[in-house]
Amino acid sequence: MDHSNDKRGSGLIVDRRELMTGAAALGLGFSASGARAADAPKKGGTLRLGMEGGSASDSLDPRTYADSIPISYGWQLWNGLVEIGPDNNPVGELAESWEAKPGAKEWIFNIRKGVPFTSGKILDADDVIYSLNMHRGETKSGAKDLMAGISDIKKLGSHQILITLSSADAGLPSIFADYHILIVPNNFTDWSKPDGTGAFELVTFEPGVRVVTKRKKGDYWKKDRGFFEGVELRYIPDAAARVQALISGQIDAANRLDAKTVSLVMKAPTVNVVRTKGTGNRFAWVALCDTDPYQSNDMRLALKYGIDRQKIIDNVYKGFATMGNDNTVAPSQKYFAKDVPQRPYDPDKAAFHFKKAGMANAKIELQVSEGAFSGATDCAVLYQEAMKKAGIELDVKRVSGDGYWSNVWLKAPFCAVYWGGRPSADNQLAQTFLSTANWNDTHWKRPAFDKLLLEARAELDDAKRGQLYAECQKMISEDGGMICFAIGDYLDGYSKKVMGATPHPHYDMCDQRIAEKGWFA
Amino acid sequence: MLRLVATRFALGLLTLLAVSVLIFICTQILPGDVASAVLGQQATPESLKVFRAELGLDKPAYLRYLEWFLGVLHGNFGKSLTNGRIIIDELAPRFINTLFLASYAAVIAVPFAVGLGILSAIREGRLTDRLANILTLVAISVPEFFVAYLLIIVFSIKLAWFPSLATVNSDMGLGTRVFVAFLPALTLTLVVMAHMLRMTRNSVLSIMSTPYIEMAFLKGLTRSRVVAWHALPNALGPIVSVVALNLAYLVVGVVVVENVFVYPGVGQYMVDAVAKRDVPVIQACGLVFAGVFVTLNTVADILAMLANPRLRRRR
Repeated sequence: MDHSNDKRGSGLIVDRRELMTGAAALGLGFSASGARAADAPKKGGTLRLGMEGGSASDSLDPRTYADSIPISYGWQLWNGLVEIGPDNNPVGELAESWEAKPGAKEWIFNIRKGVPFTSGKILDADDVIYSLNMHRGETKSGAKDLMAGISDIKKLGSHQILITLSSADAGLPSIFADYHILIVPNNFTDWSKPDGTGAFELVTFEPGVRVVTKRKKGDYWKKDRGFFEGVELRYIPDAAARVQALISGQIDAANRLDAKTVSLVMKAPTVNVVRTKGTGNRFAWVALCDTDPYQSNDMRLALKYGIDRQKIIDNVYKGFATMGNDNTVAPSQKYFAKDVPQRPYDPDKAAFHFKKAGMANAKIELQVSEGAFSGATDCAVLYQEAMKKAGIELDVKRVSGDGYWSNVWLKAPFCAVYWGGRPSADNQLAQTFLSTANWNDTHWKRPAFDKLLLEARAELDDAKRGQLYAECQKMISEDGGMICFAIGDYLDGYSKKVMGATPHPHYDMCDQRIAEKGWFA
Repeated sequence: MLRLVATRFALGLLTLLAVSVLIFICTQILPGDVASAVLGQQATPESLKVFRAELGLDKPAYLRYLEWFLGVLHGNFGKSLTNGRIIIDELAPRFINTLFLASYAAVIAVPFAVGLGILSAIREGRLTDRLANILTLVAISVPEFFVAYLLIIVFSIKLAWFPSLATVNSDMGLGTRVFVAFLPALTLTLVVMAHMLRMTRNSVLSIMSTPYIEMAFLKGLTRSRVVAWHALPNALGPIVSVVALNLAYLVVGVVVVENVFVYPGVGQYMVDAVAKRDVPVIQACGLVFAGVFVTLNTVADILAMLANPRLRRRR
């Protein structure tokens, strides 16, 4: 009867919708549409997407992308060098193959031959070099930090490049799966007339309203993708409006279903819900490790033991989240440290560490905002209650969501943050926990950690590499200033007509590539 | 009369200038700027510097205002800071959409509200009066997004008569637009009706207690004739100004309704611009909104004067 509860049980209920969520929960990457994947995909039809995650100020310039809608149209119009496969490993997209020279400091990438841009130009090494360089050096690109390890890019042949790194990185290819790094023609600057190798070309770009694309004439260079005739992506920021539009058939797919109402959506006869477990946003509190009272690790441990993660997940996320273990690597990611025990809610231990820290009169003030992530205030209030049981007084201060990222985050000693998934565990750790990271939002600076991470990066033996990354996560979990309490599930809704929609370990909406991956039944 | 219109017009222009200065100052006071707002969590000090230099944000604020002002004098609202798109091209279709929705709602709401208001006045205290009052008061007391959701549940989910997405676009003909935008127009109608209805009713009724109306009754005229021919013309002034206020609200205050029905109007555009600190866009939207307000109020004043000769005489 109650779908929302037994869904987290065995996952083997033979209702199709349940099967879908259950299979995703088991990590099988299997869904009702997937089960029928044997039916050959059909061409035609316009996919109508209704999405949240964009605004009237969106641009086509990939350097400014920061949310789901630009990511979606970016991958309709362009391709990357690499994409993340269903098993979480990098797969070649415009890069046909790659190879690291011994030491993983030099990489050779072979560019796919005969891939045309919309303009008719054929892709070559110069285009790739230009596109990668857009995110290096003096740039506004959001991928600047990701690319900072590249010291040189050289052309070896018409379809081959050599990338030199300042220090070894065995995981370089995953970096190129980042959504900023799209491949454009050499010297391309006019973003109002996008010229890409993607399956679709632009028809209408009305940021904040809709983005319409149509399938290019002729065969798409990926034989097994690009079946829709066109895509109409509408901006529907209101979650209720999105769901209504989906249920009443005005759109074919919607992202970010509201966890509070998703069980109702599942009951609609025309809709499938695809749940991708524990790959969504990492919800966390961050304490600055160089600011009192958080300089003491006992204080930080008290903060970690004092949060009732399960209660937050049950109440705020209605069960559609996974427990976080105080760092940003998710269980769905490769190199997730399975052996680091999940930190429980233990008021006694919290009280013990709090006492040991010896700062009974310390003022602990958590700054939260709905601008950090929606539900942050509710989570904080539950946290406050849980801490009370440990005898610790926690002040919750609500601050404005407007300007949160520039005024509160990275500045307030204890505040809310969310982190999106990154292509690999390495990116995930490096961007927040390296001493030199711009976004080290806990000011946790440990040379030993930096060394370990660089060592892991350089390690070509996969098993050893995994061990080193696990060690990194253990260090953060035991010593860091991040209380990562939950990792959200992605909840997408699709009309039953839409085939090929499966959970993906990277992003929601089939890694934001439903436009080129799906087809109509 | 002409002179009066001219002064009004000049005052209107001054108001617009003041509004533009005020908006500019406010956007400067707001924490953060467009570069940090666009890059958000992924901003780094270096990328912010590059972005700011690219946009000319390293110049002092007054210079940026003057540049913008000179542009506007030449009819050029400039480009959006966030995506470099020409503002007037983005704004014009949205403004047309907003005006369309506002007129749509007004065409339903104004005759209904004024008509029912007069009817209520004629039948003061009787069932029609009570019913009209109660129903419109209920409609105005419920938040507008809630009215919107109720209408969606009934007309779009249960009955499936009208779409819940009112995303109009340039490819649509008038008929389709009217159909698609029906639910938002109905929502707005419900929201603005009560104010106009009650104002009409009350201003007519207040005139009804004056001696000349008593005289009219004593002449033996029917109540409806007295209301329509004797009381109404003198009550028009306040009615016209409340109608103008509500029309202005229909243009500038509908962002919530736009959001629920995903209607591409100016409101959402301006909210997005404020969130991203896109100053030229905020300025353009602000000017347009202020312009609508000033125009409607001026028109209301002039109409009120036409209706009531006493207001025309200089003291």
